[in-house]
Amino acid sequence: MKVITIDPTKCVGCRNCELACAFINSKTTCERKASMIRVNHYIDEHAVIPMTCLHCDDPWCMAVCPAGAIVRDPDTNAVVIDQDKCAGCKMCMLACPYGNIHFDEERHVSTKCTLCGGRPRCVGHCISGALNFEEVEEYAAKTRSKVDEQMSRRMRMKCRPTGVSDND
Amino acid sequence: MESIVIIGNGAAGLAAIKSFRKYDPKTPITVISKEGGAAYSRVLLPYVLRGKLTYDKLFIPYAEKFKELGVEYIESEVLSLDDKNNFISLSDGRQLTYDKLLIASGSHALLPPVEGIDQPGVHNMWTRKDLDALTEEFKTKKEAIVVGSGFVSLQAAWAARSHGIRVSIVEIADRIMPLVLDIRGSTIMTEQMAKLGVDVHTSAVTERVEKAPDGRFSLVLKDKDTIPADFIIVGAGVRANIEFLKDSGVVFNRTVPVDDHMRTNVADIYAAGDAAAGPSAFGDEHVTHALWPTAVEMGTIAGANMAGEDTSYSGSLNMNVTEMFGVTVASMGKFNDSDIDNYYVYGDETGKGYCKLCYKNDLIVGICLIGTPETVGMMGKIRPIIRRRLAVDCPPAKLDAFLSLRFFER
Repeated sequence: MKVITIDPTKCVGCRNCELACAFINSKTTCERKASMIRVNHYIDEHAVIPMTCLHCDDPWCMAVCPAGAIVRDPDTNAVVIDQDKCAGCKMCMLACPYGNIHFDEERHVSTKCTLCGGRPRCVGHCISGALNFEEVEEYAAKTRSKVDEQMSRRMRMKCRPTGVSDND
Repeated sequence: MESIVIIGNGAAGLAAIKSFRKYDPKTPITVISKEGGAAYSRVLLPYVLRGKLTYDKLFIPYAEKFKELGVEYIESEVLSLDDKNNFISLSDGRQLTYDKLLIASGSHALLPPVEGIDQPGVHNMWTRKDLDALTEEFKTKKEAIVVGSGFVSLQAAWAARSHGIRVSIVEIADRIMPLVLDIRGSTIMTEQMAKLGVDVHTSAVTERVEKAPDGRFSLVLKDKDTIPADFIIVGAGVRANIEFLKDSGVVFNRTVPVDDHMRTNVADIYAAGDAAAGPSAFGDEHVTHALWPTAVEMGTIAGANMAGEDTSYSGSLNMNVTEMFGVTVASMGKFNDSDIDNYYVYGDETGKGYCKLCYKNDLIVGICLIGTPETVGMMGKIRPIIRRRLAVDCPPAKLDAFLSLRFFER
């Protein structure tokens, strides 16, 4: 099944993903607090990091929920919160090691990425290709070929005599 | 294996079933429940009492499916355990043999040894029956006293206050929530509660409870004014349900000590949850955290090991969270001055509320919060750092950034 994959090196911090997510979920606002995906700007560190739920195989949130409100969507494999059952106790927020569960203060329930039922809007609106919706194997293959490329380039650099340029 | 028996249908028992079935779909499981009824979480009782959740939402949906997975339920009480011959004796007269046994019988709420405390109109908030009784009281009564100021007591107080009932808190210690907040946290909470019309009496020792013929209560305090009420809620601690171990070979104190595999001193007998004392994330060997997440973790480990796996528990990290009196209150690990040697309080400009990050020997050991819900998410990110006792070389103000950047580091 497809998951949202994140390449922070491509993220430009435009926050389109947040706008799209907030709007599809709330239908009324693009405010950041209504978005499940969050792009954090770390100015001092010169980094922007988008982060959204990884829909883990063995989710901490699902294991801890005292209401049994967190279930897996059989169609998309997404981990979703049944807002009717959610008491708003926030144990899932304490359990997620990535900080990916948020809280809707008006409805007093926990909220998280649902993969938009299989067509994640954040991915659709990402202008830089930092977000993709793909099978995990595709993501791994891309990463692997990038690593292969880097390794072979480094090795060639080490083998060349000094003074000769490295143009590939 | 012929049969697995689990005593208790709470967090630890349910988690054990889930975990056991992952590895062993066949061996029949029998669950003994003294309380009976469909499985539910005590965590949700205050939310139902307050009216946030409807009554039907109390019950845990996935537990209903267990019956189709070879799990049988018996509503009865375990009276004794014969560990030499591998069977338990039930109050309905039956005896059940087991190949492996899990003691997940949980705990019950106490009434402190105070004269007059054990009478109608004085409630705990621990079981579904308590919820039903308090829901009745809430319909007509106007004034309540809550004895004790832990998480459970104050959630009950908040539920009452939300119904417009006048509430007084009576706490023996010199501050409220002594086990789950630090001194400053207690002060903030007391102020917040005062704003919402709750009277807080600390250093208050209850001498006796008197009830007039018209049903009005008077709580008589030592060296303080007597407090009147229509009903009383007591949240003064819990005791493990392990009386049935009395003449057995299982070693027990207030709870049953277990190793990092949830094993008791007797082969094939495991224990988990409120009834057990297992390793803590800080390296203690036997600690009882009567908390839902701990019970889930311990039950999960026990279930896997009962199915023949060899998993080890990294230890329980105490964590609590709730919303009450208009603020989110949460704590994790160690946060009291006597347990830490350094701390950092996030500034007001960060919009977190009162959030204190606690250190000991340069390691982050805990956090306490009275503030905004979103900060609970940050606590979740820090939880693994505390758990694994990792040193984090960054100033506390930059901790969130540091952790986020680490996720994608190559």
